[in-house]
Amino acid sequence: MMTHYQWAWPIAECLHFLGLCLLIGTVGVFDLRMIGLLRRIPLGALHRLIPWGILGYSINLITGILFLSAYPDQYIHNPAFQIKLLFMTIAGMNVAAFYLTMYRKVAVMGSEEQAPLAARLAGAISLVCWIGVIVCGRYLTFYRPPNYFWCPWC
Amino acid sequence: MLAFPAILAVHAIGMAFLVGACAAMDLRILGFASRIPLSSTDALLPIIRLGFWLNAISGVLLLIGFPTKHLTNPVFFLKLSFIAAALLDTLLILKQVVRKPPREGASVSMRGKLLACGSLVFWAGSVVSGRLLYYTFTRLAP
Repeated sequence: MMTHYQWAWPIAECLHFLGLCLLIGTVGVFDLRMIGLLRRIPLGALHRLIPWGILGYSINLITGILFLSAYPDQYIHNPAFQIKLLFMTIAGMNVAAFYLTMYRKVAVMGSEEQAPLAARLAGAISLVCWIGVIVCGRYLTFYRPPNYFWCPWC
Repeated sequence: MLAFPAILAVHAIGMAFLVGACAAMDLRILGFASRIPLSSTDALLPIIRLGFWLNAISGVLLLIGFPTKHLTNPVFFLKLSFIAAALLDTLLILKQVVRKPPREGASVSMRGKLLACGSLVFWAGSVVSGRLLYYTFTRLAP
């Protein structure tokens, strides 16, 4: 599909960028609140926007799989893609740790309340990972396989 | 050219925070996550400002790098129009909706909800037309 229709690729890219905005606008903002910024917003209530972040993530997972399945070699041997997957894996483990150990405490917190240290750390890890995912995603184009000779591990 | 991908990356990060924070505010105005006090979303303004300036600066650098590519492409001017409309809409939302919230329990006015819908459409238009610049330019250099 991605290679047969001329407009499939640009449309999927636009969706990938819009999904990214949804993810950062909800999960990224929640992370900023957890590390101690935007304290006027009640922490527990802010979590109610997370389903929109899951929607953004799902859009990006689907469009991402479409890109990957169209030109697998362009991605699998691309150092930017490999580091992007690493950041996504760390972000995934961080999400699991957050919901298994900290979510119950955080869900009932209001405005001006400081999240526990572990939750602040989880917020910081999440922000670093998602910003890393964006940077690697943007660098993908510049490290496609014909140029990967410099990559020490590929 | 090492700077080009770095500037593009900054432009994508700024976009995510600018459009994302505006979208979060718009979704709250439209009635989602209604436990968030509307007036508290004013706290998102520094994030919106930071995203805007990151993208204004990186955007000007990208324009300086490839002036012909952008100034000969009508989609570039469409993108600028979407951004202008989105910024004006966001200013109106801050002044007339977020800083003048309805009384306790009352829902946001229809005008406020229309402004929020407009903001979502204009910001999405900016993102989409920005992405399509790559597919629509006809001349890279003079």
